[in-house]
Amino acid sequence: MSKFMLVLCAGLVCGMPLAAPVKDPLDSSRWPDLQRQYVDDADVRFDPRVEVLAPRVAEDSMNVPVTVRLRDLPDVKRVLVIADFNPIVKVLEYEPLIAQPGLSFRLKLQQASPVRALVQTGDGRWFAGGQWVDAAGGGCTAPSAGRSAPDWTQKLNQVQTRIWRDGRNQRLRLRIQHPMDTGLAPGIPAFYIEQLAVVDEKGQPLFRLDTFEPLSENPVFSFDLPDTGDAPLRLVGRDNNGNRIDARVQP
Amino acid sequence: MKGLRYSTLSRLLFAAFAAASAPQLMAGVTDRDIENDARTTGDVLSWGMGTEGQRYSPLDKINAGNIKNLVPAWSFSFGGEKQRGQESQPLVVNGKMFVTGSYSRLFALDARTGSKLWQYEHRLPDGIMPCCDVVNRGAAVYDNLVIFSTLDAQLVALNQDTGKVVWKEKIDDYQAGYSNTAAPIIAKGLVLTGVSGGEFGIVGRVEARDARTGKLVWVRPTVEGHMGYKFDAAGNKTENGVSGTTNASWQGDLWKTGGAATWLGGTYDPKTGLAYFGTGNPAPWNSHLRPGDNLYSCSTVAVDVATGKIVWHFQGTPNDGWDYDGVNEFVTFDADGKRLGGKADRNGFFYVLDAQTGKFERGFPFVKKITWAKGLDANGRPIYDPANRPGDPTRGTDGKKGEVVFSAPSFLGGKNQMPMAYSPDTGLFYVPANEWGMEIWNEPITYKKGAAYLGAGFTIKTIDDKYIGALRAIDPKTGKIVWEVTNNAPLWGGVLATRGGLVFWGTPEGYLKAADARTGKEVWSFQTGTGVVAPPITWEQDGEQYIAVAAGWGGAVPLWGGEVAKKVNFLNQGGSMWVFKLHQ
Repeated sequence: MSKFMLVLCAGLVCGMPLAAPVKDPLDSSRWPDLQRQYVDDADVRFDPRVEVLAPRVAEDSMNVPVTVRLRDLPDVKRVLVIADFNPIVKVLEYEPLIAQPGLSFRLKLQQASPVRALVQTGDGRWFAGGQWVDAAGGGCTAPSAGRSAPDWTQKLNQVQTRIWRDGRNQRLRLRIQHPMDTGLAPGIPAFYIEQLAVVDEKGQPLFRLDTFEPLSENPVFSFDLPDTGDAPLRLVGRDNNGNRIDARVQP
Repeated sequence: MKGLRYSTLSRLLFAAFAAASAPQLMAGVTDRDIENDARTTGDVLSWGMGTEGQRYSPLDKINAGNIKNLVPAWSFSFGGEKQRGQESQPLVVNGKMFVTGSYSRLFALDARTGSKLWQYEHRLPDGIMPCCDVVNRGAAVYDNLVIFSTLDAQLVALNQDTGKVVWKEKIDDYQAGYSNTAAPIIAKGLVLTGVSGGEFGIVGRVEARDARTGKLVWVRPTVEGHMGYKFDAAGNKTENGVSGTTNASWQGDLWKTGGAATWLGGTYDPKTGLAYFGTGNPAPWNSHLRPGDNLYSCSTVAVDVATGKIVWHFQGTPNDGWDYDGVNEFVTFDADGKRLGGKADRNGFFYVLDAQTGKFERGFPFVKKITWAKGLDANGRPIYDPANRPGDPTRGTDGKKGEVVFSAPSFLGGKNQMPMAYSPDTGLFYVPANEWGMEIWNEPITYKKGAAYLGAGFTIKTIDDKYIGALRAIDPKTGKIVWEVTNNAPLWGGVLATRGGLVFWGTPEGYLKAADARTGKEVWSFQTGTGVVAPPITWEQDGEQYIAVAAGWGGAVPLWGGEVAKKVNFLNQGGSMWVFKLHQ
């Protein structure tokens, strides 16, 4: 707010036209709409400390690996990932709490699109980074493979986990069995995981994650957490049908 | 142990996502609201328009004098390419309409305009085994929740404003043949449900859960010999007495797969504190395999909501051999200074019982042809005609097929799932009846989990070329059919009665109709464009009276048609809500 006032003042004093909004370095025609929709037209600073690592060309539009890396950006409260030209734009919303603010995951792309991370820090300011990913397309309107598997109800929400430790931190990788149907394939309603959290034995979350349709089928995530030693952790969550996810996380 | 694990999990989930849950803005639906539902005109809060199930509204703004001005206010398509039977009764709460659709879908609409607010589509496994189309009969509301059951035997509670799942519980294993199609009902903060799957050798039961959390409170099996249970707040399960007496009405082990599915749900009367659940056929169909009365199949079972125990039962068809499910709704009403209940049974008899004690007051046929029984005795028990029971296959000439008999009504019943209405103004029940018969024979059978457990073959026959369906006004005091309106195809939708002196009902031919409640004179009809197999409702909004019905042909008739097929196979499917009000 104060920054905006400053710009306004400068404009009046100097008798010059108001400063144009910050130009989108990815030059996407969707950006002004997305800025309005996802950050309520707040000022967004494109900052090299917000890195989105993804292939320039997606090998598989149904499984595009993405890493959000946030180095040296203090006090991150929220990480929003969006894909401008997907029919469903929002991919996930991450509250790192005591985890590291970066994460890795896989998503579906309907066509070539910027993939962006919008990052809010404790003082309310927004920072952004992103990258164009070229894709053959169709990732969001194809039926999931799990949809037609006869045993999907038995495997639904089963979790595989792996942990690597370096003494101070631990990297946690998760894979959850779920079709993650977008609702855009003909005759197949949306069916996707909505909420995930890793909690300690008292039920206190280490991080929280809201997830949406564009995440890949059987989604894979990596998180960096402080090393919790032998304390048992659980992954809890649910999908939009209310099916629960509840798994012990073990090395 | 299982319960403990569950409660821990919900605590973890709650702690993890507490920040995400939105504050509640509008006052939620209370037990008091639901108990008064039949008298409040601005909403429809329960299946039956009042848990007593009378389907009577004190609204009289629409009457025989002005019904010619009744025109569509809006229509809403359920969409989707797989249009199937729509048997749902909508609910109206705080200006929102909640209606379920085929394939376990739920729609929230603006009751004024028909605009869609949200929709929920339940992901179903391929292996679901509904016997008689992928229908759903409606939802229940409590607090800020709307609760409905699914074809894979789960119970889902959604936030009325957002459509987000608040809780979800599995009722049973769909792979063993369980499913669920009935509307849940609410009694004293509990959500009461039954189970479907009577064709697969399942065991029927009534379950009560805390409506706010979905946690089990008690479970009451409807087959004699099975233990009932209750659950404390932590989910610990304790025994609550066996239903009936083991092997009193069943021989050997057959009670273990005894059927008696409570697939049409139940009614609840706050005046008696009892929930009335009808029960389906005993399994298998071949009655020679299971000598005895086979309690509590083909019965009405009255369960004390406070204790989860059976207070009384009344069995319409002991040792059933015709698939005469006794699931039909038990509708309570005041007459002769008593609280009575009426039930139009699939077996063709209408029963009037004392709602408090289950004592048989009187019974009489509501269809014109009944072959399987010669009448009822002083206690309401049928006087069988032994010649008209399908034969024992082991006595057949080849030992494989029993003697074929013609029976009326057919196994689809003198009345099936379509609920009747009762008007305190006329003192008449309005029963959507069907006149048809069947040829039926028995075959040997053994139980296999998840496989159809029938042991019978059958085909439906018409009795009268001119009609099958007949909406009948029946006097519960005399058994007299005061008037009837016949219908070419079988009736499969429910009935609504109003103080405006009208009854409304739908036909497979696509008409929503209205008749004078005293004379049966048809005064209005509207073509919905597809068959109507759902019960109409009415409510008041902004000073105007609305009438609504779901349209969409389907249900059991097109699947089991036999000779009836020629009356229905030209009907087209659909899936929509139609809402009407008076043209100003």
